[in-house]
Amino acid sequence: MKRLRLAIAGLTACSGCQLSLLNCEDELPELLNQCEFSFFPLACSPAELAGEYDAALVEGCLSMPHERELLLELRRRSRYLIAVGTCAVWGGVAAIRNGEDRGELRRQVYGQNAVACEMSEPAPLRNVVTVDADIAGCPPEKEELLRLLTGLSRGALPVTVDYSVCTECRMRENLCLLTERSELCLGPLTLGGCRARCPSLSVPCEGCRGPVPEANLKEAVEIYAQKGFDLKVVLGRLHRFWPGWNQ
Amino acid sequence: MAATFIATHNLEILLDHLRQHGDLYGPVRGDDGAVRFAPLLPGTAPDLAALRTLLPAKKYLLHPCETILNFTADAGYQLPIEVVSPSILFGLHPCDLAGISYLDQLFLGDEPDPLYAARRSSLTLIGISCTPDDYCTCYRTPSPLAAQSDLFLQSVDGGFVVTSGSPRGDELVESVKNILVECDLSVPEDTRRFFCAPLSQRHLPETDETDPEWQELADGCLGCGACSVCCPTCACFDVLEFGGLDDVSALRVRRWDNCLFKSHSQVAGGVSFCKDRAERFRYRYRHKYRGFGALEGVPACVGCGRCRVVCPAGLDLRPLAERLDGGAP
Repeated sequence: MKRLRLAIAGLTACSGCQLSLLNCEDELPELLNQCEFSFFPLACSPAELAGEYDAALVEGCLSMPHERELLLELRRRSRYLIAVGTCAVWGGVAAIRNGEDRGELRRQVYGQNAVACEMSEPAPLRNVVTVDADIAGCPPEKEELLRLLTGLSRGALPVTVDYSVCTECRMRENLCLLTERSELCLGPLTLGGCRARCPSLSVPCEGCRGPVPEANLKEAVEIYAQKGFDLKVVLGRLHRFWPGWNQ
Repeated sequence: MAATFIATHNLEILLDHLRQHGDLYGPVRGDDGAVRFAPLLPGTAPDLAALRTLLPAKKYLLHPCETILNFTADAGYQLPIEVVSPSILFGLHPCDLAGISYLDQLFLGDEPDPLYAARRSSLTLIGISCTPDDYCTCYRTPSPLAAQSDLFLQSVDGGFVVTSGSPRGDELVESVKNILVECDLSVPEDTRRFFCAPLSQRHLPETDETDPEWQELADGCLGCGACSVCCPTCACFDVLEFGGLDDVSALRVRRWDNCLFKSHSQVAGGVSFCKDRAERFRYRYRHKYRGFGALEGVPACVGCGRCRVVCPAGLDLRPLAERLDGGAP
């Protein structure tokens, strides 16, 4: 079988998603039979874009002009482009600004020396290029990354779940933190696939995987209100990973 | 009437004896206060006051996500090799037993499912009587499903009346004779009487998709899937295949699914036969209360109340079902 020629790149993000792939230490040697990390600046240097790629895996959101150029270049050179991680899929933590003016925030953080920092509103990849598949998560689960690559090497795009964190939480027979403990758990609104990692440790879901398809915010907000959480608190928590949540 | 009686203080001796026959499981209250079917290790007392566990006993027969086939280039698709050891489920309520009998019909019918069949044949079921609470609905609509067990314990003053329901149960009774007492007792009725009802032959009219109640349910639904995960008879699954790291092997898995999920009704080409949640609720009603396919006409609801207890939005499909079905069949 021909090895999969991959480009793996990071835009505005913490590199955690790419690190998650590098953390698959037990699987990487075998994975190299199927994949060739042709462009992977975080892991191999020197890294120059060259030729075409079977797939580009891109972490992070877009916030600077050179990132936009890199993304467009990766798109031109790749058969598939995959958004990896919540920043790439939804904007993620880099997009938080609590409704405040970005120019004002920039002045507060960088003072008058902000000239070199040319940036735009952090945006998910799909705002700029066609994205063939999303792998959400902050970071994505190791298993998801491995399945993405083993699938791509067979010519298949990943099958992702379309249910919320609650589904897997119930499958693991956890006590419901929202209904039984009245905690602000974002599980009902958040995409599953993490095997309810946090609620299984009695930590309420923070929503790091972004919104589940058909999320019912209206009903969830009512339930949160019954539990004593007002809309501002709920939206504030939700906006940590996707600024697009709106009542 | 003549009855076989076991005193409450002898229950631990019975459990000890059962442990010699296999892995013993029963309802156990965890540190978090939740009750789950879990190993009944020596010193762990079953919680016989609890009415329902978070997950039903189906978790011992169908795992939430499990490999159903392994593929290798040499051997093609092969069934997974699973070592199944004899297990005893203790403390099943009649609705739990009826749930297992429904799954038996689904998975042991014309084409028995090998994984299910192997696990099922290794199970000994020990039922126990219960007193329904406000969430239970077994008494509202008698179910045609059988609430059968190998042994059944009916709570009476000071202990339980023990009855056997199978040759395996006879053997167990025989082997613990020293702690059983034959005596005359008046045995109260238990909730098993709400099961094994004659199958209704009524023909119900097709449901009205314009009924606003479907939309009301849909508006309240978070789509969390708890109702089906916790349902003793929900057994719909999704089938996925994942390639291995070695380039040639693959795993085929099945994973619990829910008819209220978008992908559940999606078919090839992205087409959906239930495009919104209101339609999915109608589909759920038709499956749970009317049955289709090989189990057409067999209502799947055993009245355990789990779906109502676990729904974060407090949704309940039953009042609508009762209205549509015109009360008890």
